[in-house]
Amino acid sequence: MTTNGARNSKVPVVVLTAVLLLVLSFPLATPASAMLTASANHDHITIGFFYNGSTISIRGESDPSEELIIKITAPEEHQVLKQKGKVGGMLWMNVGTLKFERVPNFYAIHSTKKLEDLLSNEELEKYTIGYSALEKHVEVTPVANEQEKSKWFGEFVKFKEDSRVYALSSGKIETKMNEAGRQEYSIQTDWPYQAAPGDYAATVYAVKNGKVVEQTETKVKVEQVGMVKALATMAHNNAAFYGILSIGIALGAGFGVGLVFRGGGSH
Amino acid sequence: MYLYLPVALTSINILIPVGLGLAVGLLSGLFGVGGGFLMTPLLIMCGIPSTVAAATDSNQIVAASTSGTYAHWKVGNVDFKMGLYLLAGGFIGGIVGVQAIKLLHAMGNADFVIKMTYVLMLGIVGVYMFIESLQSMKKKKSEHVEEVKEEKESTAGRFLKSLPLQTRFEKSGITHSVFVPIVLGGFVGVLAAIMGVGGGFLMVPIMVYMLRMPMHVVVGTSLFQILFTCIEVTFLQAYTNHTVDFVLAVLLLLGSTIGAQVGAVFGRKLKADQLKILLAGIVLAVTVKIVFELTLTPSLLISQAGGH
Repeated sequence: MTTNGARNSKVPVVVLTAVLLLVLSFPLATPASAMLTASANHDHITIGFFYNGSTISIRGESDPSEELIIKITAPEEHQVLKQKGKVGGMLWMNVGTLKFERVPNFYAIHSTKKLEDLLSNEELEKYTIGYSALEKHVEVTPVANEQEKSKWFGEFVKFKEDSRVYALSSGKIETKMNEAGRQEYSIQTDWPYQAAPGDYAATVYAVKNGKVVEQTETKVKVEQVGMVKALATMAHNNAAFYGILSIGIALGAGFGVGLVFRGGGSH
Repeated sequence: MYLYLPVALTSINILIPVGLGLAVGLLSGLFGVGGGFLMTPLLIMCGIPSTVAAATDSNQIVAASTSGTYAHWKVGNVDFKMGLYLLAGGFIGGIVGVQAIKLLHAMGNADFVIKMTYVLMLGIVGVYMFIESLQSMKKKKSEHVEEVKEEKESTAGRFLKSLPLQTRFEKSGITHSVFVPIVLGGFVGVLAAIMGVGGGFLMVPIMVYMLRMPMHVVVGTSLFQILFTCIEVTFLQAYTNHTVDFVLAVLLLLGSTIGAQVGAVFGRKLKADQLKILLAGIVLAVTVKIVFELTLTPSLLISQAGGH
């Protein structure tokens, strides 16, 4: 067995040597110190019966001279939301719907410094970092002009921040130097219970001289488990049974309480 | 302690729904209303999506009204015959109402018509009940002896008497043509479907003032027919919209089933006029709240689609 294994491993060794030689021949293109790493230590959030949100922490290493931006997003989707407006000059009510294209339902940005101090508008837009960049990226219909788009995107952000799925922060990322002369960064942040189950991406951008010099990504998975998952699945896949069960339990509870009150009741 | 709601996709402190259930269940047992006009907006305030709030509330009302009907039935305050005629009317009215909504949406500004109908209905019912019960309370004080007064037969009364298929409703002690409860039930059904509410606050005054039923029988009978309406609504919401949150419904009904019993016991100790004036007060308070909502600038100009 061992001889067999040794013989088989000869081919990879040759390939590895070739790759190594290739990498070593371009030492300036990828300086070893600029390797950005990232990992989420709580990358699988499970939603059980007593779930009330969680915390996640993202940590990694970077070059000491780099500033960092962490963006956590859900996949982009299409959302239709109700729009309130004034009717007859005095009554506030729903006046229609607004469609938002290419919007994530979760968008959190954490950075070591304020975004505008780190990157130019062009760079922010290129990587869709920050609300103004996201506004450029998103399509809103129907709106008459850019001004109106801006107004309604602002309201959209307010609505999302209110349900805690949109957030911006600066200065919450902690950094320190390790013995190897590398910068260790970490952020611990609340994960809101309002964030729906799904796959989330945390992208870390290393910034130097107003440019993104490197980026890396790690995943966070949020999933329903146990009873919660069973009920949610049943509500969608077995809707008739779920409805009858809900009604049955309600009837049973109503009668049950009625009987209990008769047992110990006043009459 | 927090629990996660699998359909609403949010988490809630269990004391909130249990407490809300208790309060709204109490009103239900006391006045014979479902209480959706209070419960649904309160749930939305707690972060529950509006569609889930309305659907889950109807599931909860099934439990509260079962509990309440049971409590009123024990003391002989449910007119099942009347309830069934009203239900038949309500069922037809519901179908008409759903078509009317489609028509309104096709014509545009449906929300405006719906909101206005709701506010006007609440306002008119509240003011009328308030004035009427206030007057009858005063009258009773001044004319203690002359309580049983021969009522003058009005034109409307004569017309109702002339309708065919007159039948006796023993529990309520009244005689009506079967068409009267069916048409009135249908009227409430149409409005309830358009406004997206159960219609208890309309049904109770109609039973009191138009069918002339005794107030205590009204409460029990109203709960009996709300029970059936809400069973139907819960099933349709669960089946077609997947918006019933089972966990939230259980938390709410823990409070509301008990609240309904307490309300029923409490209601027996109150006089009919006292009950009416209290209900009128609540209906007026809700009207004022909605008027404020309509006129004050909302903090968020965007909301989840799908609710009413």
